[in-house]
Amino acid sequence: MTLSFFDQFSLTTFMGIPLIALALTLPWILFPTPQNRCLNNRLSTLQAWFIRQFTHQLFLPINQGGHKWALLLASLLIFLITLNLLGMLPYTFTPTTQLSMNMGLAIPLWLATVLIGARYQPNHTLAHLLPVGTPGLLIPILIMIETISLFIRPIALGIRLTANLTAGHLLIQLISTAAFHLLFIMPSVSLLTTTLLLLLTILELAVAIIQAYVFVLLVSLYLQESV
Amino acid sequence: MLSRLVFIPASALKSSGSMGAGLVQASRCLHISPQNQAPVPPLPEKSGKVRHGIIPEEFFQFLYPKTGVTGPYVLGTGLLLYLLSKEIYVVNHETVAAASVGAVLIYAVKKFGPGIATFADKLNDEKAAKVQEVKDTAVNSLTQAIEAEKKEQWRVEGRQMLFDAKRNNVAMILETNYRERLHMVTNEVKKRLEYQVQLQNLHHRMEQEYMVDWVEKNVVKSITPQQEKESIAKCIADLKALAKTTQAKVSL
Repeated sequence: MTLSFFDQFSLTTFMGIPLIALALTLPWILFPTPQNRCLNNRLSTLQAWFIRQFTHQLFLPINQGGHKWALLLASLLIFLITLNLLGMLPYTFTPTTQLSMNMGLAIPLWLATVLIGARYQPNHTLAHLLPVGTPGLLIPILIMIETISLFIRPIALGIRLTANLTAGHLLIQLISTAAFHLLFIMPSVSLLTTTLLLLLTILELAVAIIQAYVFVLLVSLYLQESV
Repeated sequence: MLSRLVFIPASALKSSGSMGAGLVQASRCLHISPQNQAPVPPLPEKSGKVRHGIIPEEFFQFLYPKTGVTGPYVLGTGLLLYLLSKEIYVVNHETVAAASVGAVLIYAVKKFGPGIATFADKLNDEKAAKVQEVKDTAVNSLTQAIEAEKKEQWRVEGRQMLFDAKRNNVAMILETNYRERLHMVTNEVKKRLEYQVQLQNLHHRMEQEYMVDWVEKNVVKSITPQQEKESIAKCIADLKALAKTTQAKVSL
């Protein structure tokens, strides 16, 4: 069977187990559990330092009520970064390329922030629909625009992550195919393509980390507005 | 290692009092001793040795008795060639992608690895230094307290000397005072006695003068005019005789 370029994103089952389940759960064994000792080995120390730094940075602008979300957002970041980076390895499946999964992450988180805002601070949440200092004539239009932008947020969150990763993977596939096939026809052009591929790989590694971070950051931003 | 994959709710554990809701590794119920009180076994100084970044050294040691130093490399090469020639591993575009990702990752590890290792060590060292500093401060403050206490004890011993010196001081002052007053008394007494002596002298002198005056008065009174004439004539005759002898001395 010939493979198209999109088959790398297809979900496979092996002996009845949808392999995405393994792809989602196995990355967890890469992270050691924090031990009850003062001085740990390097991996545990670095892991603890990174999570502490990130959580501290992320929750600086959010007031006390939003700090309940610290565990969720920190673990979300680690999860997304791990999935994205492991997907860079050859022949691996990246669950975050599936729109279903990203929407499954984005919509509940976004909806939670909106509902929290509507439940505890309804006036303040509604006030967000109108930025400060708008001229009187623009008010009706602006409210509609702000409402639309509010409802587009989950779609944007999910699609941003999906599109970035899918596009990156596709590009890597295409360019590596080009380099591979040109190797036998025009080796010098293949060399050029390989250089391009190297640069692209560096970009993709960065994008993998950054997109995860952006996702978590935007959720924290929505939280900040409503908590 | 895989026992950490098994989870149970924390409320199912018997000894989970302070944990409350949450998931805990199921192997915790098999732990017998209270974990937080057991002495924690120390971490090894160095991590497991690896060759070429991913293959543990134990693998090479395992093959060494039978196949020597080149054994694992021959195994690796043979395995690779077998996979390639039988097309069990197919060389396609993923290989190129794998090569580029591998190159980037190996470069990153070689370049930033030691830096990150020293950073992790620095974090640990800072933690240890903080705790050590607490201990050192406590030890220092206690040592200083001990020395202060010893000094106070020495001061107490020296107090006796201080009291003796003060007593001596006071005695000396008293003595000086007494001697001054004695001196003053002597001077006063001497003054009184001298006054008496002067008084006596005065009396004596006055008596003498009165007596002399009385004698002179009486003598002057008793000289009659006759006697006065005679004495004057005698004086003149004496003078003449003296003048003659003097002239004779001069001419000689």
